[in-house]
Amino acid sequence: MLCQNCKKHEATTHIKSVVNGEYTQLHLCSDCAGKLGYTDVFSGFGFDLGDFFGNFFSKPKTMLSGSKVERCEKCGMSFEEIVKTGKIGCADCYEKFYEMLLPSIQRIHGKTQHNGKVANVTEPDEVKKEKTKEEIIAELQEEMKVAIEEQNFEKAAELRDKIKGMESEM
Amino acid sequence: MGKWYRDFGPEGDVVLSTRIRFARNIREYPFPFRLDEDKKKELNSRIKDAVLSDNENMSFIEMESVPAFQTVSLAERHLISPEFAGPSKSKALILSDEEDVSIMLQEEDHLRIQAMEAGLDLEKAYEKAEKVEKDIGRVLNYAFDERIGFLTQCPTNLGTGMRASVMLHLPALTKQGLISRLASTVSKLGLVIRGAYGEGSQPGGDIYQISNQITLGISEKEAIFNLESIVKQIISQERNARKELLSDESYLDSIFRAYGILKYARKLTSNEFMKLISLVRLASAEKIIDIDTEKINAMIPDMQPATVNVRNSSMLDAEERDKLRAKEVREILGE
Repeated sequence: MLCQNCKKHEATTHIKSVVNGEYTQLHLCSDCAGKLGYTDVFSGFGFDLGDFFGNFFSKPKTMLSGSKVERCEKCGMSFEEIVKTGKIGCADCYEKFYEMLLPSIQRIHGKTQHNGKVANVTEPDEVKKEKTKEEIIAELQEEMKVAIEEQNFEKAAELRDKIKGMESEM
Repeated sequence: MGKWYRDFGPEGDVVLSTRIRFARNIREYPFPFRLDEDKKKELNSRIKDAVLSDNENMSFIEMESVPAFQTVSLAERHLISPEFAGPSKSKALILSDEEDVSIMLQEEDHLRIQAMEAGLDLEKAYEKAEKVEKDIGRVLNYAFDERIGFLTQCPTNLGTGMRASVMLHLPALTKQGLISRLASTVSKLGLVIRGAYGEGSQPGGDIYQISNQITLGISEKEAIFNLESIVKQIISQERNARKELLSDESYLDSIFRAYGILKYARKLTSNEFMKLISLVRLASAEKIIDIDTEKINAMIPDMQPATVNVRNSSMLDAEERDKLRAKEVREILGE
């Protein structure tokens, strides 16, 4: 059997794993296994599936020729480039291509809802999202007041809509 | 030099060490793969300030300034990943004096925060890693999304961004050919065992690393609990297998032969060393040979090629290094 990674050498290392209930077997030659951190268990740290599942993103289903390629405004990545490299460019890419990435995320983890620590929250850690949302709304209201005082009505209206949106979510 | 990997920690007969690693990125910067060198350096210095102001026992190292053989030695001692040991433009490392906490900057993510403990001690390793994670989080905003958690360059780390791993010494289960079965069992539970499953020799010294594979939809606590309970089962299986093996005279014979070679050999390659030290470590942990397991734990990383060079501040060729390794092993085991 040939190595699945380089397809050149005989596969000598066989790795079995189940991702999201799907059983997969990897057959690698010693070179590729080494490169991917399999031969020397000391080199295991930092290993990442993305290294060889570079194609684990599903390709966009419809690609109209001539249509404008959508890019992340922050880092310039397009979804095609994400698919090709197996890497995401920046935090904004996740927002921009969220719907397109979701099926792949589901496939990798079997789930799509985070259930762990929340970032950038002040102590104690147990603060619930509701509370932070309330705080955010209070802050936005404060900002809105300032905007009105400054007669920046456009900004005030924006903030009002934002607050409404958040309140309706709660 | 640190000592976490030398100590005999909880369940030390089977477990060498525990590690917790967080993958984190800073909101306002593109991920390393889309970040230019200047911006990387700027971000590194901001992270450096955030960490060093709260942690006096840590130092900042620009990887460009570290000679190649020393970076490989850092990887041999698990302080950095092997990928991180590669070409080092704009990469940096923040390392604690005890070498039990290390932060890789501009690896796959902006930050790879890791903490190590001797033996099986996930809780303590978690606390240490979390402290640093929080220190940085107070100063810089992490890339985070309420739906999919901490945002990472590779989606396999989304969610908690946490990888918990336990390094196990499993000579008896290996000898009984049970590792591949074990690997397929744990993979059904969202865990992964890494090691050389292929044919041929086992340069890894029967040492395996087991870690959680899934990071999204499972909390840090659940992932750790899950890993710990599986590891405990593996430990008891290994202990039973050892009992059985040690009643086998020819296996005992191979242990003492290994001990004999290590004690008297004049040349030892690192592969041969790993193969033999595995048997001697088993004998030490099971009190068949009277030698501290701590000593052996320390030898395992210390006798790796680049680390031998670093300790002797030299760039020896393979043959000279094999002689030196044999000499040092003889001295430690008391010829």
